Amino acid sequence: MPVRVVESNTPAQVSGTDPGNRSPLPPSSLLGAGQAFSGTQNVSNQQKEEAWRVNVQIQGIDLEHGYLCGTMEALNVPMADTPVITFWEGEIVDGKNYTFYTGKWEATREDDMRHWSKFPSFSPLQGQVETDGGRQLDLNNYPYIFMRWKEQYFVNVGTDCGLTIAGFYYVCFSCSDGSISGFYYDPNSSPFQKLELKTVNEGRSGFSFSSYELQ
Amino acid sequence: MPTTTSSSASSSSSVSCNNRQADVFSRLASSDPEVKLKALREVKNQIIGNRTKKLSFLKLGAIPAIASVLADADDSDKCNNILVQSAAAIGSFACGFEAGVQAVLDAGVFPHLLRLLTNPDEKVVDAGARSLRMIFQSNQAPKYDFLQEKNMEFLFSLLNSENENVSGLGASIIAHACGTSVEQRVLCEAGVLEKLVILLDGSLSQREACLESLATVLKNNPEAVSDFVGLESGRYFNSVTELTKDRYPRTRLLSCLCLVVIYNTSPSYFINMGTKSSLITTLLELLNDPGQSGDDAALGLSCLIAEKEDLQQLAYEADAIKNIVDILRTGSELQPRRLQGLFLSLAELCSKLEDCRCSFLSLQVLDLLTNALRHKDADVRAAACICFRNAARSVKSLSAGRFNSDHVMLPLVQLLHDPSSSVQVAVLGALSNIVLDFSSPKSSFIEYGGIKQLIELSKSMDPNARCSALRALRNLMFLADNKRKELFCSDVKAQGFACLISDPEPPVQEQALALLRNLVDGCISSIEFVFDEDGLILDTVGRQLRKAPQAQMAIQGMYVLTNVASGTELHKEAVMQQLFPQAKAGSENFMLKFLQSDESQLRSATVWTIINLISPSSPGAFDRHVKLRNAGIIPQLKNMVNDACLDVKIRIRTVLGQSMSFGDNY
Repeated sequence: MPVRVVESNTPAQVSGTDPGNRSPLPPSSLLGAGQAFSGTQNVSNQQKEEAWRVNVQIQGIDLEHGYLCGTMEALNVPMADTPVITFWEGEIVDGKNYTFYTGKWEATREDDMRHWSKFPSFSPLQGQVETDGGRQLDLNNYPYIFMRWKEQYFVNVGTDCGLTIAGFYYVCFSCSDGSISGFYYDPNSSPFQKLELKTVNEGRSGFSFSSYELQ
Repeated sequence: MPTTTSSSASSSSSVSCNNRQADVFSRLASSDPEVKLKALREVKNQIIGNRTKKLSFLKLGAIPAIASVLADADDSDKCNNILVQSAAAIGSFACGFEAGVQAVLDAGVFPHLLRLLTNPDEKVVDAGARSLRMIFQSNQAPKYDFLQEKNMEFLFSLLNSENENVSGLGASIIAHACGTSVEQRVLCEAGVLEKLVILLDGSLSQREACLESLATVLKNNPEAVSDFVGLESGRYFNSVTELTKDRYPRTRLLSCLCLVVIYNTSPSYFINMGTKSSLITTLLELLNDPGQSGDDAALGLSCLIAEKEDLQQLAYEADAIKNIVDILRTGSELQPRRLQGLFLSLAELCSKLEDCRCSFLSLQVLDLLTNALRHKDADVRAAACICFRNAARSVKSLSAGRFNSDHVMLPLVQLLHDPSSSVQVAVLGALSNIVLDFSSPKSSFIEYGGIKQLIELSKSMDPNARCSALRALRNLMFLADNKRKELFCSDVKAQGFACLISDPEPPVQEQALALLRNLVDGCISSIEFVFDEDGLILDTVGRQLRKAPQAQMAIQGMYVLTNVASGTELHKEAVMQQLFPQAKAGSENFMLKFLQSDESQLRSATVWTIINLISPSSPGAFDRHVKLRNAGIIPQLKNMVNDACLDVKIRIRTVLGQSMSFGDNY
């Protein structure tokens, strides 16, 4: 059922904000260590349609530094006998640590805009990002979190498994229901392979939260 | 027989050595000043720079004997040589030898040395001052009451002296005896800074004494720092900065340590990035000094970069990690103090920056660390544990299973029984992080009986130990499978766990609840633990939440209820029993209080409980919703649609959405 929305979803434009004084994004319950997500990655190309089942688990999140990490498990991968698990690290676009511009991984600004603009939730921000890189945006009150996820290594298979982790994902996380969509970018792979994930509740009737505390 | 001859020769030589030593005592007691003087010179020449000889003579009672000589000698000219030599010998005993300092003080020689400072003969004054300086290098030096006026007068008379040893003594007294902010203030008000800075332009010995004493007076005292920096428009502050490039390593070190004190007290005086970089680079170079300067530089570096991410970044860019690891790998025996400082510096470098941790671990350093865990010095073992703890803040490295090996885990687990309590605390911190092993359900920590040890520690008399042990258990149970949870639950039954939740210390309660939260997460059957022994644990949680707990404890408690409420219908109803216990009808519901808390995490956790209780897929959701509405909870949420925290706002919208689906309009 639709809920009456008191405020619009366009993020406030805070004029005169000094980027040097940006704070990290506030925490979101569903984007926390221990949270699990499940869904698919569409790996179709011109030859065939194919989708892999994917499970993602967040292992750590450090909002102060705009960092998070976790594992990604790809099932029913044709080249592999077992599910393939990778460890990834993420950059959170918070205007303080990271912006919408990647600046590495062979992704140009045009590539960035091409990918971000595929997320409907990015469209209210697009104009501002194209103008000044989104410097004036206050992302603290925006109900979507934008990230880049880069796989770092294979956890359970060798690098000769026939799979690549050369690219990275542009990711959009919905704070309200924890759903994740993403697009894989790798100049040497099929473009716009879409990742779609939802939160997993492990057979429970509701949400459950685990936590740890690093000393 | 030759062998007999040689053995008798060696035994006769040791006998004659002992005889000579014993003979010295009789000569010290001689009434002939020349004989006495010769004996004094003999002792002094033997003990200078020779710790073994110092100990040997000390055991024979040399110090009281020399103290008597000093006490009996009058101030006439003919006794001057005796005064000089006896003071020199005493000073030598006290130099870098703590047992010597103790014996010197016990022999009551202190007032006699003080007396020498007013002797008309400059050499006597010098000898007395040098000897007293040696004593004041030690922590055992007598307390100096700066608040007594005559003591302050005496101190200033020393600082005003033309004699460099005497003025240096004044500075040494300040360096080693000034301990409180009251003393710092009294000294500053009396003008001590103006007197000390003059010594910066003096001899090497005066400069070094000045730097040491400045650091003591300025430490943690922003007013004193401001006064110092303001002197002659910053001239002396600049001098101290310049001295970091002095040709003498000890001067470089002491000026660096002085700047570290100023930085830690008032960082705003260091806006220039170049000064910060230069300070770090100088300390890094001094780490290679083989003497005491190198030892002190290591500790100084750790103090400088502690808690300061920007300086850690600068040190990282200056290759600090590799430099320190290379020093640790040299293979030569490093002094415990230096080892401690090096490990603490590495620990600080790894404290906040993931790049530093990864860089450190990439140097294959675990062997270095595990060796240090076995060092005979407790401070080194503790420093190595702290280094482990901070390196293990790298989730990436934990995920790669870097720490989950026997040769890392075993020495750490063994340290849980270390005789030193500071080592035990440090290793608990390290294990707390290392047990977060995402890489494998198999844990070598558990294989070494770690769970049982943590359970024991959770019953310690020391609340910090209880808290740390529970935190480690909490982390161990993060996303744990049922097999692992069972290892804990089978040992700690419901009654035992209820005691942990009811611990008198709130931080302990908090960790116990956080552990429980993890135990009831995961597979739905793990929720059953809170129902053991007639629901004792769940009742205890409810009781604690009703007692107006601290926010952090309440957050964990509400997440326990959230997790239980994500279970079956029975589980949800059990949570409702805790929220609305019959016996307490009429009193304000604690959920209402939590929803009005300043802590957004507590508001969020409370709303999650509600979300789970009225989750549309469960049959009793409607009835629970009615109860929550009648208790004023749903109306309270309607007032919170514009909550300042985005996450809370989003969760409230979810509840109100579900509410509308039950026909509740707003």
